[in-house]
Amino acid sequence: MTQPNKNKSNKIRSNAEDMVRFTMAQFVDKEVIPVATEYDNKGEFPQHLFKKLGKMGIFGIRYPKKVRGSGGNTTLYCIAMQELARGLMSLAATTAMQCLMGTNGLYLYGTKEMYEEFLYPALKGDKMGAFQLTEPNAGSDLSAVRTKAEKTRDGYVINGMKTWSTSGPKGDFHTVLCQTDPSLGLRGLAFFLVPASTPGFSYSKPFDLLGTRTSSISEIYFKDCHVPVEYRLGEEGRGLGVLLKILSEIRIMTAALALGLHRAAMDDAIKYCKEREQFGKPIGKYQLIQAKIANMAVNLEAGQLMVDKVTHMIDQGKECLNLASMAKYFTVESACSASDEAMRIFGGYGYSMEYSVQRYYRDNRFLLYGGGTHEVLQTTIAREILSK
Amino acid sequence: MTIWIIEEKCDGCQRCIRACPYEGIEMKDGIASVTERCTSCGSCIETCKKNHAIESDIKPRKVPDFSDREGVWVFAEQTDGKLAGVALELLGKAQELAKDMGHKVSAVLLGKDVSHLIQTLHDHGAQNVYLVEDDLLENFRTIAYTTVIEDLVLTYKPNILLIGATALGRDLAPRVSRRIGTGLTADCTQLAIDPDEKLMFQTRPAFGGNVMATIACRYASPQMATVRPGVMESAPYKPENPMLIRHEISLKEQDIRTKILEKVTQKKPGTDISDATVIVAGGRGVNGEKGFAMLKELADILGGELACTRLIMEQGILPHDAQVGQTGKTIRPEIYIACGISGAVQHTAGMTGSRYIIAINNDPLAPIFKLANWGIVGDVHEIVPELIKQLSCGGAS
Amino acid sequence: MDIIVLVKQVPNTTNIKLDPKTGNLIREGLESIMNPDDLHALEAAVKIKEETGGKVMALSMGPPQAVDVLTQAMGMGADKAFLLSDRAFSGADTWATSYTLSKGIEKIKDYDLILCGHQAIDGDTAQIGPQVADWLDIAQATYVNDIESVDEKQIVVKRRLEHGFERVACKMPALLTVISELNEPRYPHMGQLISACEQKSPITVWNAADIGVKTIEVGLEGSNTHVIKTFTPNFKRQNELLKGSNKEVVSDLIDRLKKSDTTIAYRL
Repeated sequence: MTQPNKNKSNKIRSNAEDMVRFTMAQFVDKEVIPVATEYDNKGEFPQHLFKKLGKMGIFGIRYPKKVRGSGGNTTLYCIAMQELARGLMSLAATTAMQCLMGTNGLYLYGTKEMYEEFLYPALKGDKMGAFQLTEPNAGSDLSAVRTKAEKTRDGYVINGMKTWSTSGPKGDFHTVLCQTDPSLGLRGLAFFLVPASTPGFSYSKPFDLLGTRTSSISEIYFKDCHVPVEYRLGEEGRGLGVLLKILSEIRIMTAALALGLHRAAMDDAIKYCKEREQFGKPIGKYQLIQAKIANMAVNLEAGQLMVDKVTHMIDQGKECLNLASMAKYFTVESACSASDEAMRIFGGYGYSMEYSVQRYYRDNRFLLYGGGTHEVLQTTIAREILSK
Repeated sequence: MTIWIIEEKCDGCQRCIRACPYEGIEMKDGIASVTERCTSCGSCIETCKKNHAIESDIKPRKVPDFSDREGVWVFAEQTDGKLAGVALELLGKAQELAKDMGHKVSAVLLGKDVSHLIQTLHDHGAQNVYLVEDDLLENFRTIAYTTVIEDLVLTYKPNILLIGATALGRDLAPRVSRRIGTGLTADCTQLAIDPDEKLMFQTRPAFGGNVMATIACRYASPQMATVRPGVMESAPYKPENPMLIRHEISLKEQDIRTKILEKVTQKKPGTDISDATVIVAGGRGVNGEKGFAMLKELADILGGELACTRLIMEQGILPHDAQVGQTGKTIRPEIYIACGISGAVQHTAGMTGSRYIIAINNDPLAPIFKLANWGIVGDVHEIVPELIKQLSCGGAS
Repeated sequence: MDIIVLVKQVPNTTNIKLDPKTGNLIREGLESIMNPDDLHALEAAVKIKEETGGKVMALSMGPPQAVDVLTQAMGMGADKAFLLSDRAFSGADTWATSYTLSKGIEKIKDYDLILCGHQAIDGDTAQIGPQVADWLDIAQATYVNDIESVDEKQIVVKRRLEHGFERVACKMPALLTVISELNEPRYPHMGQLISACEQKSPITVWNAADIGVKTIEVGLEGSNTHVIKTFTPNFKRQNELLKGSNKEVVSDLIDRLKKSDTTIAYRL
């Protein structure tokens, strides 16, 4: 007879990474994939899924429990985003922003009252937070930001505009990069929280885009928008620093989104090339198709290793911006090629709006510029290496 | 308790692998190897008589003597004084089992004012009928029925007890088996007496019907099984000296612990095609709404649901929920009737897991025939009405 | 109200594949999931807890990796979880399994209600619920598709039957087996899920000795029934074209269906 385990601990636990991936995979397979193409074709955001993600505590996955987060970390965050991107890129991108850029400034610099009004509702999915950097003349070059925040007696007045504003029309509050002193260039930047309800805030009609068609991206305008001084997220002149704190995380999250899309394209292609028969055998028996599958699989695996390495480094507090840039560059390029090859494997059907592969092909273009254009990334990667 | 292989003695004959019910042995480098799935049941040891390459520390379990247990019993399920069809089907099977064992068939009838059913039971195979009537047995309640059957089994000691795998039977049987301390095999599709040990071999589907398992209850008595309705056939019987055994037992309301507040008859809500047993699917070859009304009639007779190809969904004849294929649902019904469907992979990817596929198409070269168990080359609009006609006059319920 | 929910880890049989050559089940790559009906039992338990207070405890029997379904249960809102795990439990039939589970429940001791899924997708026996209820000598209701009211004294439920339903009042404590119609299960909450995976895990493992059973009473040795053999039914399609007049082919087809091993064969 077995002895009672008196002395040794009789506790047992699961691996959090596996459980998060499994839970998200189930959600994506059951809730997202069946409706993804339908919502994308309609160009309508699946708000009910966003709500469900809120109930699941996804939006707080990288925040500690003491701010009503889920107590996870960057690794778990990226796993969740990767799975979600396997289902629908626009939903994943909106969720990713809600978890990170849309709320991080608020988390770091917000007051208790701001937590109550914005952060807690955002983590539950009742409010949407957006992140606004880009301006017509300021994309990769942030020293050209022209949106101005002028100090008043009791706060700031913001004037200017942002473009390529993800969730511009739908966001309930925006984390906006402004100039407090244009003469200082990159050293004159600061982030401000601007609720969409602020008088003087407005937005344009959403852009008509090639991909991520369920997201709404637009221009947003600030005309004499008054915000209290507490809404300045971080010190004046430290805007770039605030951004740099999460830049590695933004890049690696983008890489995780690419991995998810890559996986979706590959899964569909594998299934199809086993089912589709030509000249009496499944097309997967032909070597040229096999070469495509092999390339997809190798690139996915390599990308996964890069992402895993970087997320674990971030969780250990290690500096890894250049590795994150490499991972973003590699995974997005791989996903581009995988979605292209998947379409070719599908033949004429890949060109049909009825199948999902066309969506992967279009949505992936979004990742080419979100999180840094590859032309800029290649330059910074090389510069960093050559500077040593 | 473990089983191990003496590698030097193993000649790689794989007999043990075939004998293992749990896939607990596999070949590794030409030699048998025990896997994690081994439950130490010992089935493999006997098959390796030649080489004695399998050893274990299992102590053989003593088989109790059940020679005093006699009779094949059938629980005669009734509701509101009406017998369930499965009761008569079970009596049919019980006659075969009893013959192979040299035993008699008995029916167990519980209820209030149900004696009018006795003759029917005799006429379908029951030599004896055990009858327990009580006001508290008017409606089926688990604990009341369990208590009565427990008492009957302990008093009369049957060898076999069969119960229909209906909602009632699947509620009752497990509780009875636990109460009287015996094993139970659920939802059997085949029952047979093993000539050596006179054990009842009970075969049932597992893993969603992908695997069949044959199970025996050697160490406890009676041997209990529930059997799916419809798989056994009833058979008439002329009993000599039919016997009625009235059994008395005192039941108390407070011991039964459940009370039925209301019984409501209601048609089941529409089934999702993924859960349907029978699917009648139509494609390009079916003539629009009118054609699908005809398919619906067939589906209703078979207790099934309608499904379609993408084209039909796009024409708005059926909703997206009914579309089967790469961009629709993947289903695995027992019977899939493909009407006017050519069999392009875009559709068939969603239905190849069906148990039986029947294809009706006027093009003898349609690829669907390569997937079908049975094909009929002909016009859907002639074949389907003929099917409806023959099924309806066949006295379908 | 303190509720125990019985959960089981099962292979996901909805994606099951057969080896085209041998016809055997391909077990490799079959993912393990929580038995689908059990999700509905958990949802019902957590809902009752949210309304009446108390706690939800998930209980499972299985190998150490079955901890994952308990983690999932905690993600969905269970407060505690227990895994009965011992080599001695393997190969158990429903008799031995229900005995083991009932001993685990007796060790947990305090409960008002036990919920479990109607049946598991790997075995489809639907026996564990009623058998556990009988070991514990408490009332049972199976096929539950609605819970109307619940208090310390009794629970009123609807049971789905072949031709409708019945409303039943059960004295407490009671055991219910639930079907998927009952509710829509929630997804695990990330915070609860991650907490369940932390160093100081809230999930307890008990072996045979911990719950006070002898190894000869459980697992294969404690079972009354044994598997003699397993086999894969022959699913090969004959690709037969039926010949004759319309009338003849149709009656031929009906004959074949009547002889088939399908559940509708008898209805034709």
